[in-house]
Amino acid sequence: MGVELERPATGRVPAPGTQPDPDFFKSLSDEVGNKGFLVTSTEELFQWARTGSLWWMTFGLACCAVEMIHVNMPRYDMERFGAAPRASPRQSDVMIVAGTLCNKMAPALRKVYDQMSEPKYVISMGSCANGGGYYHYSYSVVRGCDRVVPVDIYVPGCPPTAEALLYGVMQLQRKIRRIGTVER
Amino acid sequence: MSAETLEQAGKAAASGKRTVTVGNGAGSDIDGIENYTVNFGPQHPAAHGVLRLVMEMDGEIVERCDPHIGLLHRGTEKLIEHKTYLQALPYFDRLDYCSPLGMEHSYVLAIEKLLNLEVPLRAQYLRVFFAELTRICNHMLNLGSHVMDVGAMTPNLWLFEIREDCLNFFERASGARMHSAWFRPGGVHQDVPLKLLTDIGEWLDTRLPRLFEDAISLVADNRIFKQRNVDIAVVSKEDALRWGFSGPMIRGSGIAWDIRKAQPYDVYDRMEFDVPVGTNYDCYDRFMVRVEEVRQSARIMKQCLQQMPEGPIASLDRKVVPPRRAEMKSSMEALIHHFKLYTEGFHVPAGEVYVATESPKGEFGVYLVSDGSNKPYRCKIRPTAFSHLQAMDFLMKGHMLADVTAVLGAMDIVFGECDR
Amino acid sequence: MGHNAPAVVNPEGIADELRALVGADLIALVEAHDEITLIVARESIERVMVKLRDEAAYQQLMEIAGVDYLDRAERFEVVYHLLSVTRNHRVRVKVSTDEATPVPSVTAIWPVAGWLEREVYDMYGVIFSGNEDLRRILTDYGFSGYPQRKDFPLTGYVELRYSEEDKRVVYEPVKLAQDFRNFDFMSPWEGAQYVLPGDEKASENASEKKA
Repeated sequence: MGVELERPATGRVPAPGTQPDPDFFKSLSDEVGNKGFLVTSTEELFQWARTGSLWWMTFGLACCAVEMIHVNMPRYDMERFGAAPRASPRQSDVMIVAGTLCNKMAPALRKVYDQMSEPKYVISMGSCANGGGYYHYSYSVVRGCDRVVPVDIYVPGCPPTAEALLYGVMQLQRKIRRIGTVER
Repeated sequence: MSAETLEQAGKAAASGKRTVTVGNGAGSDIDGIENYTVNFGPQHPAAHGVLRLVMEMDGEIVERCDPHIGLLHRGTEKLIEHKTYLQALPYFDRLDYCSPLGMEHSYVLAIEKLLNLEVPLRAQYLRVFFAELTRICNHMLNLGSHVMDVGAMTPNLWLFEIREDCLNFFERASGARMHSAWFRPGGVHQDVPLKLLTDIGEWLDTRLPRLFEDAISLVADNRIFKQRNVDIAVVSKEDALRWGFSGPMIRGSGIAWDIRKAQPYDVYDRMEFDVPVGTNYDCYDRFMVRVEEVRQSARIMKQCLQQMPEGPIASLDRKVVPPRRAEMKSSMEALIHHFKLYTEGFHVPAGEVYVATESPKGEFGVYLVSDGSNKPYRCKIRPTAFSHLQAMDFLMKGHMLADVTAVLGAMDIVFGECDR
Repeated sequence: MGHNAPAVVNPEGIADELRALVGADLIALVEAHDEITLIVARESIERVMVKLRDEAAYQQLMEIAGVDYLDRAERFEVVYHLLSVTRNHRVRVKVSTDEATPVPSVTAIWPVAGWLEREVYDMYGVIFSGNEDLRRILTDYGFSGYPQRKDFPLTGYVELRYSEEDKRVVYEPVKLAQDFRNFDFMSPWEGAQYVLPGDEKASENASEKKA
């Protein structure tokens, strides 16, 4: 016997299960077919391109690192989404902080983050990176990696399953599409 | 080769200290040739976590190697002292996160030894069964990353497919892919469905050997793989004893020491299996020992499936093991027990024990001191990687920089456990 | 039959053998839970260890653990676990010490002791004389205090964050959003005294009445 709440205005978000608008795609392909080119803003083009190649920095710290490897292996195959692992911070766009961040490691984490080129994003994976988690009260653990680097997406779990991380990456893509480059 | 490795080590090094010491370093007396100090890690894909190695190099030869650990020191032992026995159990999953159940095994056995608590036979079989599945799971990660560290990509992809199967089995047994918290003092948390056991049995017969033997056949006789591993970091029997090696590391050095055989726990005394040992005491032997252990683990698991009886999966001592949920619906006493066990926890009589089991990586020990209360007074964890990593300086002396990854890979270190 | 922990069978007459071997350096020999503990004098630890390794065939040093007993005069115990792979037996050797008195190092006997002693030093502040590399090992660079001591708070004294002004990570005193919840499970009949509001004078009155 709950109260009847008015449905929030959905805006441009379609209801789940809606097929993409066929007319839009038809007009798009007609435009390319007739004129041979498309007109869009560079900003939108860049954002679209960015979402398609999120090279992630393998910052495996603890248990979550194993799930991070799993998401990259054949079963979940994150490269389908253009997300490839890079060992060097210079080449990567997104850092996945996977595991407990300890005091001794924190300066190194920041250093790696500073070395990444703009635009850069951070996914905090697992409850330890989100807020200390099971080790929150320890004398040697940073209570959340957002005390050291700005975080875009938090993936909950201990550890989050590979699917959860994959979902987190997709959420990051959505965030990039929606708000573009984040000014820091 | 070396330039590339150097560059990678330098680039990926987070605190990128790549200092060149001015003047002559140790071991070189020729003018103009300087010793390098190369910093490897703490963030490096081949470091298996957060290892930082400070190496003094004479050209490409490692002169001295100083591992800096503690970058994942989470204060587990201190936290355990502030939690009840049951609340502290999941910390053990998170120590060696490649083989969670292997860690729990030592801890629950230590508590049971203090309590002098007998575990029903089915629970013992289940524990051994899943401990061996954990061993397979752990070795898949280690073998895969070892071959990947020395340059082979393909086997890792296949071995991770096996790991993925293992994680599914853990999920079906306990609800969690990795950190199961499934071994409990007095038994296991809940029974497994019959279908899970038959599925694992079928997997052991068909899928595991197919994927595993295929993947290993790619590297076991591979010329490049052998060149990278044979005669690298040879450890004699005497050195293995002096440096406190255990597990595949000591067996790779030719000593047939396996706690499962020598000091059997749970139902390992009923199992028939062989202990593989190395003959050349090098990295390749350690690799092959692990390969053979996987086959032996599969053999143990099959025996478990054949012998496993029906029956309770946890001790019926209600002062330690909480009652079933159904029982709580009708019995007031069961409800009280449940409440007390999940708030206050059980009290363990005062005393101290050291219990070591054969975890996939070696001897994993728990030194548990109880003062009679519901929290451990002291719980010292004996990690396997700690002693192994300490020998890094001794192992690396005179080897090339590129061998570091091979030695690290064959050592099978995980930092959750090493740093605690 | 009891528990299912690893079955370490004590060889026949092992206690007497160890007693005779260690001789005057032995303070006590404790047998509990099928495990043998030798409590020896601190100064003699090196001598005892050499004997145990060479004459009693305990080849491996598996572990050195520190334990802190706050109420004892010599508050720290250093516990060595030895393993014999030939005799398939384990033995535990204990010495005790305090903050200032060094324990002789066993690094000359087993090189593996180097890090194990460093860890005990790092966690408890026990000094090992003869260990040439007695640096901190697990805790942060520049850490102060000995975290495993019973009087060291669980959450420590400092925490860390990145400072945008200084462009580096800085250490600050710990400020917790929520304190660690520690429950007292002692039953009110045997343990803690709970004084209900308004009852503060009840006991006083009772004693007055008696008088």
